[in-house]
Amino acid sequence: MRITSFMVFSQLANALKRNMEDFAKLNSQLASGKKIEKPSDDVIGMMRSLDYRLSINNTGQYKRNIDEAAFHLQFTGEVLGSVANSLLELKELISIGGNAQSQENRSFYAGQAARWRDFLLDLSNTKLRERYIFSGYQTNQKAFTYNSTTYHYDYNGDLGEINVLLDTEATLSLNIPGSNAFSFTMNGQLPTQLPDGTPINYTQSTDPSTGITTTTVEIGNAGDPEYDTFTFSNVMDMANILSFAFEYKDVDGSDLNADPDIQEEMALHRMAALSLPLDDARNQGLNVQAEIGTRQVHLNDQKTRLESSALNLTNALSKTEDADMEETITEILKTETALDALRESASRILSQSLMDFLK
Amino acid sequence: MSLLGLFGIAKSAIFASQTSLSLTSHNIANVNTPGFSRREALYAVANPVSFGGNLLGSGVTISGIRRYYDRFLQTQLWDQHQNYGKSYALNQTLSQIEQVFNEAKNIGLSVPLTDFFSAWQEVATNPEGFTQRSGLLLKADSLVLTAKQMERGITQTLSSMNETMDTIVDRVNAIASEIALINGKIVQTEAGTTAGTAHDLRDQRDSLLNELSNLIDFSYYEEENGSITIMAGMRNLVSGETTNILSTRINEEGGKDIYLDGMDITGNVKKGQLGGLIAVWDTIRTNSLNGLQRLIASLIKEINILHRAGYGLDGTTDNDFFDPLQLSVKDFSAGADMTATITDFSQLTLDEYSIQFDSANNYYVYNKQTGALVTSGAYASGAPISFDGIEIVVTGAVTSADKFTVSPLADVIKNFEVAITDQQKIAAASSDTTLPGDNSNALLIAELSENAISNLDDATFFSYYRGLVSTIGSASRAASDSLTFDDNLLSELNAKRESISGVSLDEEAANLIRFQRSFEAGAKMIQISDELLQTLLSL
Repeated sequence: MRITSFMVFSQLANALKRNMEDFAKLNSQLASGKKIEKPSDDVIGMMRSLDYRLSINNTGQYKRNIDEAAFHLQFTGEVLGSVANSLLELKELISIGGNAQSQENRSFYAGQAARWRDFLLDLSNTKLRERYIFSGYQTNQKAFTYNSTTYHYDYNGDLGEINVLLDTEATLSLNIPGSNAFSFTMNGQLPTQLPDGTPINYTQSTDPSTGITTTTVEIGNAGDPEYDTFTFSNVMDMANILSFAFEYKDVDGSDLNADPDIQEEMALHRMAALSLPLDDARNQGLNVQAEIGTRQVHLNDQKTRLESSALNLTNALSKTEDADMEETITEILKTETALDALRESASRILSQSLMDFLK
Repeated sequence: MSLLGLFGIAKSAIFASQTSLSLTSHNIANVNTPGFSRREALYAVANPVSFGGNLLGSGVTISGIRRYYDRFLQTQLWDQHQNYGKSYALNQTLSQIEQVFNEAKNIGLSVPLTDFFSAWQEVATNPEGFTQRSGLLLKADSLVLTAKQMERGITQTLSSMNETMDTIVDRVNAIASEIALINGKIVQTEAGTTAGTAHDLRDQRDSLLNELSNLIDFSYYEEENGSITIMAGMRNLVSGETTNILSTRINEEGGKDIYLDGMDITGNVKKGQLGGLIAVWDTIRTNSLNGLQRLIASLIKEINILHRAGYGLDGTTDNDFFDPLQLSVKDFSAGADMTATITDFSQLTLDEYSIQFDSANNYYVYNKQTGALVTSGAYASGAPISFDGIEIVVTGAVTSADKFTVSPLADVIKNFEVAITDQQKIAAASSDTTLPGDNSNALLIAELSENAISNLDDATFFSYYRGLVSTIGSASRAASDSLTFDDNLLSELNAKRESISGVSLDEEAANLIRFQRSFEAGAKMIQISDELLQTLLSL
């Protein structure tokens, strides 16, 4: 082939251009640390890295959701622990104060019961940040408030469960509705008479919209002078009835009976009648705590799983889009050597001319 | 033979050497002129004279000047210039569009879209929290902003492509008139001589054709008188000394159609930068622009449907999260008008429709994407026509030449705004009795990110978007690969051409010596002839 001056020049120019392009690309890879700098560098790799990044982002969000839920559940668990303790104390009051005779003693126990009642009310209206945690969806309402007309404690919340996403399809509720934590249904064989043989009847009815179970207690036979009936729908109600019973009074503050003897008997019957529901309430509380425990375990498992998958994803992402520094630097050195050689050979070829040898 | 005849032979030798020397210096002078073909003088033995019954040589004559030139190679080169021009245009525009979708540098929708759905999860975790709600509005705003920036990036590229096409068309016209001019000169110069002697003019014309082939694909043939006829898109661009004007017109989609001598030749322009731009314009519009618009339209549609069903903290419902979709109507009719409204968002296909009429006063609604006939019937002015959740009303007299298009996509990103300004109205709850803790609607919206969307061919928002990125990435990759290929092939062909037509300085240096020596020898001949003559004269 006949080689002309222009060919030599343009070949050299092309080779220089290509080399400099390689050089610039490697340099910018080194600067950014990424081997994919635009989708066309590696379309499949880019798609994979988009996938990985989406998953990493989602995983991060799920982890934040889990942290939030775990925080809520742990806090709720602690509150419910205090509820169980309070119920135990109330039960204790019945057994040690139930046969107190003197007015002072009875007032003392009544005061104690009232104190636990108020403590339970405080617990039921616990706030986490701006949220009442036992009100279901009605998080801006106190869960329980005292109704001075009925002398009972009313539930203002609902059965709403605030779910958070733990994964694409998995959700978990981060709250316990107050009707579940502070109200309960008595299960199993209910006694038909008190230890002293007085007939007793527990009737329960549940409001499906709030989940609150109202229990009506009837003691004695209708028509008897010591016949007594009262209702409660939550633990505050029970503590309230108990507190008044120590004083031989009904929840509205009136005497249970005009006859002091019957009055005392009725009060003692009330205390005895409340003993079993107190146990059940405590069991219910323990069940809820167990449920919280199960959810926490679930959250922990999920978090561990997400963390390990996040680690895998981050590794995969780095493998897909990060430039291998040693490889890039080696490549740069290689290109540099090639460029040097090109310049060297070019300088020799270009300086060769017959013109130089003519005089 | 006379002694004076010797002078004649010596003179022919000197003249021949001089001609060669002048061609050699012309070659050396043009060593860097692109498109120059080297020259060489062709020597022939001069007609012999009869002397004493013997034929004696009478020296040398220049029988012609050869231009080293391979017509077949030149044609190949023009072909390759056309391919190169196309690849160049494709690569330039696609790499610009690619930057709009450059997810490798986190430019694009991926991040704002993920953030938007994450913000819904944050609202779901804390439905009564104002921080989370205003966070969501911020993320929605940045999604809107990014979508608008991306659309602007694409439409700017499209309009700069339109401008480039105009510039190219102007340049083609300029080249065409120059060629016509040169055609005339070549005919003049070569008249009465053998064709192909106007070397410099031909080199000049070839250079112009090189440039032309980079811009547009053409075919050509050479007339006997040396002028050439150039045809682009099957019509004459240059014929002898006359040219036809190439021009552009805006078409229905906003792109440019190419007209030559008043005829639409767009479909026949396949190569050169112009062919590349025409091809890629459509690709960018249908893939990148319409794809992005469809993604945003389906996002607006799906989010709004769920959001309207939910309740805000203030108990209000039926609120749109984004400004609702609107239809844009294009009117290609003489005397009729059309209005279009969306009657059922959930039925929208997000496709574009065209409404046409026949001479029997029937209307036909076609889906522009699938080409399918959607509905048809007898036309009555003012009577509503309903299909796919859209109701249109055409009024006035229609003819078979009239046409309307209705599109939910055309202005979707232009109208893309967050409708909610009061964060209380963000509908996280499913009922007004379960406020404020109810997050079930927010959860539904957050989970939308994982759902298959029917308007996106059952892809999720993310996988559809990924498809857009991968399409543009692959196209850009293919364009840059073919540019490299065409560039290499072009260099190869150029090298071949240079090998034949190019100037080698070494060769010319050798020639210089050669012709210097023969000039000197000729001169010596004259000196000797002179001495011989002196000898005779001094007798």
